[in-house]
Formats: sequence, structure tokens, C-alpha cells
Amino acid sequence: MINRILRFGLIFILLLLLQVLLFNNIQFSRYVNPYVYLMFILLLPFEIPAWLLLIISFFTGLIIDLFSGTPGMHTSATLLAGFVRPFVLRIISPRDGYESGADPSMIVYGFRWFLTYTAIIVVIHHTALFYLEVFRLTDFFRTLARVLLSSLFSVTFILLLEYIRKGK
Amino acid sequence: MRNLLNFLAKYNNLIIFLILEGIALYLLSTGNNYHNTRIVKGIRGITQGIEQRMSNTRAYFHLAEINQALALENTSLKNSIERLVKEEDLHFFLITDTIYQQQYVYTSARVIDNSIYKQKNFFTLDKGTKQGLSAEMVVVSGDNAAGMIVGCSDNYSVVMSLLNIDFKLSARLKSNGYFGSLSWDGRDYRHAVLSEIPQHVTFGIGDTIETTGYSAVFPEGIMIGTISDFKKTGGDFYNIEVTLATDFKKLYYVNVIGNMKKTEQIELEKQFE
Repeated sequence: MINRILRFGLIFILLLLLQVLLFNNIQFSRYVNPYVYLMFILLLPFEIPAWLLLIISFFTGLIIDLFSGTPGMHTSATLLAGFVRPFVLRIISPRDGYESGADPSMIVYGFRWFLTYTAIIVVIHHTALFYLEVFRLTDFFRTLARVLLSSLFSVTFILLLEYIRKGK
Repeated sequence: MRNLLNFLAKYNNLIIFLILEGIALYLLSTGNNYHNTRIVKGIRGITQGIEQRMSNTRAYFHLAEINQALALENTSLKNSIERLVKEEDLHFFLITDTIYQQQYVYTSARVIDNSIYKQKNFFTLDKGTKQGLSAEMVVVSGDNAAGMIVGCSDNYSVVMSLLNIDFKLSARLKSNGYFGSLSWDGRDYRHAVLSEIPQHVTFGIGDTIETTGYSAVFPEGIMIGTISDFKKTGGDFYNIEVTLATDFKKLYYVNVIGNMKKTEQIELEKQFE
């Protein structure tokens, strides 16, 4: 148990550093702002109670907000991601359900499952995030383009990181 | 009572979600605010160590460019000294003017954190109240407008960049003095939009746009950019696209301008409101 908490702590710190030191500084285009820290929420174990998941999501978002100077924006989006995660897991669950004590991972449940899982949650998170950032509906489609392109990049990076994790 | 407890037990996650989301949205609505220096102070204090270090690294890679910009600025300063000295020679004697008071003070600062691809862009300076900066001071890069300080901690300041959809600036055409309102439309970090210029005004592509002194924040005549495109809008006004003179993508050293007579102007204006 302690071992597991330590492992997730390590994953969290690594993702936080990646996000703050690397991805927040990429400034590649205004359409592409990948947010890979969301992977932390994706990787948490299946049997985590929903209330704990919500609290972890809240603080994850809050910490990212502290580093990006955007109070509340990542907090509310990540919280939403944490809230929908159990529902998404239920919808896309494999025929024989999830093993108890396992974490969502690409090795166990396959590439397609992991891709669907990541894509759904990332798109929900990014939609909330980018529309909260503009906070208006003019230029609706421009924001939509930002959501979709950024999601594409976030999903790609999360899958890459998952491959690296798998190799470990 | 039992029903209530059952209800709470059934929907406890939804309730936790709504409460936390409420807190987050509250932070969102107050924290990004224009004048909210308290949050800025608290939050920025935590992460500035890291930002400073990263900025040091970035500054190292751009030393060549920075040197060039400084050399250019030096030359122009030397030229203006020459001009001033020449003019002084023309006078018969020097008068110490006691009525004249300096209106604007300049401080130089370094940008340690910057963003251009968000809708609400801010950047951080490595000086704060201890170095004499305060909120509502103007930030210029070279001679070009870059933003306005919205919050200061002891040693750092957060600047609302021109590239912020909440930023509004009174601007005018240098050639004929017609003024309008300049804002960023969130599209492109090279361009902003000047609106409220009436259609009978004549101007051409390439004309200079500069600040007016109306807001008591910006000094008069600071260059904003040049006209790159314009089109007519429905309400008898032009919508002018302005190419910004400041390149926000390479913003390293900036000057901060404080208006020493600002309170005087604002107080006077208040009397007649």
C-alpha cells in the first residue's frame, strides 16, 4: 500500500515537472497547448473511491494552476475529468470487467482500450479548460479547433509516456 | 431525516463534486481579475524561484540578441544626448526651472515568465514594490507598448500583456490624432484591433498607431504598431488591424514607466464627474 502511494507520488511529481518545465514552455502555436499532467488522473487505480478521486483531481488542478498563474481554470477542468472518470470506465469496460487491484494500463487492457479511455477524458477536460479560458461563445469554432488540436497532441504525448512506462 | 441521510449517501460524490467545482469557479471568477493583487501575491511567490531559474537559462541563450538590442538603444541614447547638448549651447545661460517637475520615471526590468498562446496572457517581471514598482504602471519594450502591471509582490510584478482579451487601450492615429480603442482579439500574437475610428477619417496602410495620454496610465505618444489592414464595419466605423511593434515572442528586457502625476490627474477628473 505504502509502496503504491510512493509510486503514484513519484508519477505525480514527474508529470508535474514535465508539464511545468517542458510543456508549458513549448509555445508552439496558439492552437496547440498539450496538458499531459492529466495522465495522473488516468493512471489512478480502478478501486479508488470516487470522493478520493475528486479530492485528488481538485488538488492536482490547483497545483497546476499555481504554476501557470491561472487560478481555478485547471482546477475546475481536472475536477470534471475526475468526476466523469468512473462513468467513462463503466462505459468502456471490457466484457469480463476490470481485475481488482490493477491500475488502468496499456499492457493489461490493450492499446485500443487505453486510447479510447485517454481520448474521451482528455477531450472532456480540454473542452472545459479552453472554453473556461475564453469564457465567451464568440469564436466558438476557433476555440473548438484549439480543443481538438490540443487534445490530439495531449493524447499522443500521454500514449508515448505510457509506452515508456510500459518499457520500464 | 432518514430520507435526507439516504439522499446524501446516494449522491455524496455529486455533492462533493459540486462543492469543489464551486470553489474552483469562485477562484476562476475572482483570481483572474484585473486588480486582484492578493492572489497574485500569494500564488506567484511559490513558483517564482523556478521561473527565475528558467528565465536565467533562457536569457543565456539569447545573449547575442539582447546585446544587439542594448547596443542599438545605446546609440540612440547617445544621439539624443548629442542633440540635447547642442541645443543647450544655443541658450545664453541656463535656468533652473522650479515649476517643471519630472512626470514619468523609468525603471528597467527583466521578463522572467511570458506566454503568448493563451487568450489571457500575462508576463512576470523580476522587480516589485521594493524596487518602486506598483500596479497600473506601464511596461514598454524599447519604445513600444507592451502591457500594464496588475499586481506586485515584494520582488516580482505580474503584467497584463497587450495580448490579453481583457486589455483595452486608448490609441490614436499619429497622422491626424483621431483616437479609438485598441484591444486584442485573441487570434494572432502579431496583430491587435483598433476600433471606433469613424469612416470619414483618411489613413493608409503603414500609418503609425500610438497611445493617447487620456487614461493617465499610459504616457502620450508611445508607439503601438502600424496599420496592416482595415475594413468597414456596420456602425459607421472602421475595424483596423494593427501590426504590433512589440515582438512578444522575444521579450526579455523592458522598461517600466510610472506616472508621478497620476493621482493629481485622477483627483482633478473626479471632481468633475
